[in-house]
Amino acid sequence: MFFDYANVFVFALGGAVLVFGGMWLGSLIRPKREGEAGLEPYECGEKPIGSAWFRFDIRYYTVALVYLLFAVEIAFLFPWARVLKEALADDAIGGLALVEGVVFILVLAVGLAYVWRKGDLDWVRGISHTPDDPEEG
Amino acid sequence: MFDLLALLPTFPLVGFLILMAGSNSLPRRGVVAVGVGSMGLSALLAIAITVNFLSAPPPGQVFEQHLWTWFEIGGLAPGFSLYLDPLSLAMTLVITIVGFLIHVYSAEFMRDDEAFARFFAYMNLFVSLMLMLVLADNLLLLYLGWEGVGMCSFLLIGFWYKKPANGKAAQKAFIVTRVGDTAMAVGLFLLVTQLGTFDIQELGVRATEQWPVGSTMAVVAAALLLGGAIGKSAQLPLHTWLPDAMAGPSPVSALIHAATMVTAGVYLIARTHALFALAPVVLTAVMLVGLLTQLTAGISAVHQRDIKRILAYSTISQLGYMFFALGVSSNGAAINHLMTHACFKATWFLAAGAVIVAVNHEHDIFKMGGLGKKLPALFWAMFFAGCGPFFSKDGILAEVWFSDTGGPLLWLLGLFGVFVTSIYLFRLLFTVFLGPLKNEVHWKPGRAITIPLFILAVGSVIGALVEYPRLLGYHPHSSGIEAAHASPYLHATLGKIAVGVALTGIYVAYRLFVRHRHYDGDEVIVPHIRVPLRNLFADGWGFDRAYRVAFVAPFRSAAHFLRNELIDRGCDAVVAVVQSGHRLIRRTQTGRLRWYTAGIAAGAVLSLGMVLFS
Amino acid sequence: MSRTDLTALSPLLVVALAAVAVLLLISVRRNHRATATLTLAGLVLGLVSISWAATVTPHQVAPLLIADGYALFYSALVLAAAVVVCLLSFDYLEQRGEQREEFYVLLLLATLGGLVLVGASHFVTLFLGLEILSVAIYVMVAYARSSPLAAETGIKYLVLAGASSAFLVFGMALVYAQTGTLEFRPLVAQLSAIEGSGLALPGMALMLVGVGFKLAVVPFHMWTPEVYQGAPAPVTAFVATVSKGAMFALLLRFFAALGPGEARPLLVVLGLVAMASILAGNLLALLEQNIKRLLAFSSIAHLGYVLVAFLASSAFGDEAVTFYLVAYFVSTLAAFGVVTVLSDNEREAERIEDYRGLFWRRPLLATLMTGALLSLAGIPLTTGFVGKFAVVAAGVEASLWLPVSVLALGSAIGLYYYLRLVVVMLSSLDAGAATESAADSGRTPADPGQTPAWPRAARVGGGAALALGLLALLLLGLGLYPGPLMDVIESSVSPLR
Repeated sequence: MFFDYANVFVFALGGAVLVFGGMWLGSLIRPKREGEAGLEPYECGEKPIGSAWFRFDIRYYTVALVYLLFAVEIAFLFPWARVLKEALADDAIGGLALVEGVVFILVLAVGLAYVWRKGDLDWVRGISHTPDDPEEG
Repeated sequence: MFDLLALLPTFPLVGFLILMAGSNSLPRRGVVAVGVGSMGLSALLAIAITVNFLSAPPPGQVFEQHLWTWFEIGGLAPGFSLYLDPLSLAMTLVITIVGFLIHVYSAEFMRDDEAFARFFAYMNLFVSLMLMLVLADNLLLLYLGWEGVGMCSFLLIGFWYKKPANGKAAQKAFIVTRVGDTAMAVGLFLLVTQLGTFDIQELGVRATEQWPVGSTMAVVAAALLLGGAIGKSAQLPLHTWLPDAMAGPSPVSALIHAATMVTAGVYLIARTHALFALAPVVLTAVMLVGLLTQLTAGISAVHQRDIKRILAYSTISQLGYMFFALGVSSNGAAINHLMTHACFKATWFLAAGAVIVAVNHEHDIFKMGGLGKKLPALFWAMFFAGCGPFFSKDGILAEVWFSDTGGPLLWLLGLFGVFVTSIYLFRLLFTVFLGPLKNEVHWKPGRAITIPLFILAVGSVIGALVEYPRLLGYHPHSSGIEAAHASPYLHATLGKIAVGVALTGIYVAYRLFVRHRHYDGDEVIVPHIRVPLRNLFADGWGFDRAYRVAFVAPFRSAAHFLRNELIDRGCDAVVAVVQSGHRLIRRTQTGRLRWYTAGIAAGAVLSLGMVLFS
Repeated sequence: MSRTDLTALSPLLVVALAAVAVLLLISVRRNHRATATLTLAGLVLGLVSISWAATVTPHQVAPLLIADGYALFYSALVLAAAVVVCLLSFDYLEQRGEQREEFYVLLLLATLGGLVLVGASHFVTLFLGLEILSVAIYVMVAYARSSPLAAETGIKYLVLAGASSAFLVFGMALVYAQTGTLEFRPLVAQLSAIEGSGLALPGMALMLVGVGFKLAVVPFHMWTPEVYQGAPAPVTAFVATVSKGAMFALLLRFFAALGPGEARPLLVVLGLVAMASILAGNLLALLEQNIKRLLAFSSIAHLGYVLVAFLASSAFGDEAVTFYLVAYFVSTLAAFGVVTVLSDNEREAERIEDYRGLFWRRPLLATLMTGALLSLAGIPLTTGFVGKFAVVAAGVEASLWLPVSVLALGSAIGLYYYLRLVVVMLSSLDAGAATESAADSGRTPADPGQTPAWPRAARVGGGAALALGLLALLLLGLGLYPGPLMDVIESSVSPLR
């Protein structure tokens, strides 16, 4: 095992030589020009305007997330629907294909119920839905 | 009945556990119930077992109880086994009954101590371990008890730990006995490796088979065991810890440093007698150690002023007698003296404790006087208890005269010890209790103190009349006894001479310390002895000073010198390296996500590279 | 899908169903106690169903999952740990005002992910389980969303886990490109058939990145302290145990299937990783002042220890790995359990100062914490000792001298910081409170007049007390009588090789 690690050591050394040697070589041959333009955030002549740090409404995220989730789940349902008929005819699979699809949809339905109940589907949020949730109250 | 043997050490052990667990929550009454009650149960059981043992003795007078096997490695399988024969029965009786009485005494004596529960916890643990020591049927269990009682002794000497001197005394006791214990441990290893068994009886048999009398191996092994016995029983030259051990509470001195633990060395030699018989040289050494100890310690006792130190030196001296007896192979006499002495010395220590409390924690006997009128119970208990050991000592002396290895000269030296003994004992008694009253008595002992004292005193007096070990069926072979029986007239004469010498000693003490009151202010005067010599005797022959110069001081200066030496620096360097390693590597935890991602990427490169290039 | 399949999968199904049921319960009515109870019922039922699944073992479900003794043992471990975390979380969340109920959905899902991982016999299930586990943990670590630290923690874990998953998937793709299969057994057969492993070996090397990230071993470890510190204490306990344990179970299964010849280059990598983890983890923990970070660093070292036994690649090594993981689970859960119940609604009990004199304030908790620390340090009489002993024995048996000696060195360093914590708990309440902390962390010493600095958590709730009591029992019980567990482990790892 000792000699296996010797390999590693040589490898690591080689890597270091390549990286730092390259940087060193570069520092030898590259031109050194320091100017105002070189220090700008985007070195393309375009001046940034305003702050990059302003808030987007959190509701965009929740709605987008929920949409994304359900859209993807529906995408899963297409192939299932496509082969369902043949699966039902197959003795080995039979009704199980239907049952599994239904379970999948039911789980989605529970998720939908949860989101709905939590009020994430309302664009204009009402006052507290759940009295035990202090953040909304 | 004998199957209950295992309960003997179990009761106090359970008591210890309960007391430790409930040390803060148990009320005092509960502490007494558990601490004294567990001892009471053990004592009752011990008596019941004794009755059974005498009325229906087990085959060969030996009962073995195998509880469980400790471990089994390479053919060695020391069990957790108990071994009951007359010898261990005698020890058990002393431990449980004297122990129980001392516990009863302590219930009153320690009443106002804040660490009441802790005291009884340690005491119970001590008794449990001591019982384990004497009942052990193998060396490993014996060693467990041996070291365990040493630990309890340490804990109890330093019981009042807030006073630094007590802590130092505890350390001294522990360290000095450790010297002997180390020798003993080496001896045990030697025995086990050479003879291939832990079992004590088996060990004796194999040793007798394998080693001829006087063979080097037997001598070395016996000498090493003797080392342990000397340390534990405070014999020359390892006796210096016992006088300082008086820093503990008086019941502790009575139980551990007079009646039980210090006799463990005597027990060990009696128990492994088969081995010692193979090494006559070592037996002679045992005899010489005992003789020298009893003489030097006795002379020191005459020159002490502290009541407990007198008793401490007296204990050392009496233990010396036991070794003396063991050395001439009269184990019966030794054990007889052990049992009588246990009763006697427990009484005296307990009474001394009561006296000290009564005169407001004064230890100097020359600042006491005339207490006999105020505390008559203590005086009479001490007086009667003091008679017992003279007779058991006579037994030892007679055997010394008749024994193969003894002789008239040794007898004479022993006789001188008897004389010294009666002087220092009655010097104490007369000075403290007779003469004009010098102290105010603040406190009188209650019944829980006086009754145990009287029972113990009675035990001591009966010891003068009968031989306890013989009663229990312990009469080992001894050349001395047979010779003594052969010439009864001489035997009786010797006894009479001894009694006469003892009485002379008492009379001398009376002359010196009652009639003439040879003291003057702080200066205690023992007539005809010059001051430097007297100081030497009072110092215990200067052993402490010699050890300080020979061992302690060099060791301390060596330790001081070596504090910054190379190896230590090496250790420090390891610490420094590890710490700087920590500082260095801690810088990698920058908290920056990109750096962490870079770490993952680097790991990927490394992993890939290693697989590709290896 | 036959009846046997369903039986074999019953633990997974129960937990999945419980997750849906809890979600439904939350939509109908928000009640913390009811939610927690339902979750607990689901997890316990999952545990019970393991014995049912055990009636059909070993059973391969499709090519995806396998229910053998090994998978069931680890399933039980994961579920038991989840039960403990659930019990600890209830009191913890009860004190806090956040939305509490969703936590249990996430806990169930994460547990489900762990269960999928330990039963995986196919790269797809591996990935599926890993992602179920990870996605749930992303949210759990950032659960205290009002604190900025939680946001930082969440984003760090998300980005790094995403990055490492990418390596994992890419590695899988390479393996697939070479062998044309993602199922473990045919894949291994393919590997040994082909001459020079081509793309498969680099693929597996890249997969190690994803695995290493989950195990938090050097150099994929740097997220650990931040996530441990930022996540709520029960979540930290979960991340430290379930996610690592499940991943290790999978790693062990795959490498046991892989022949020694094919595995050798990867084992070299893992050997280096193990030694680096042991050293780095212990060194990082050495002077750490934050308990959660300290335990994070120590967990890095512990995974290094387990890897040593793993490197042994023997049946005994497998047993050692499994026993060590059990010991690690018990000790870590106990330690974080104490941290959890000591935390109050203001902050977590994570500073070393919070533990000063704990023996005098909360003797039972302090004793348990000491037990856990001693077990982590590998002191005899604790389960950690037996684990470490087994690991060292496995390493020695396989003549892994270098890793074993690094292990010994690391353990020696480790003793220092575990015992330091014990000393702090034993020291008196007022003495030295100022000196040590001021010297090390540069904090100004606390004003003696003000109220004590440690969190004043309410008394331990029933659930947490039950969990902690159980852990204390295991901590000592498995240290004293490891025999029965060893027997169970021996029979459950036997299908591996």
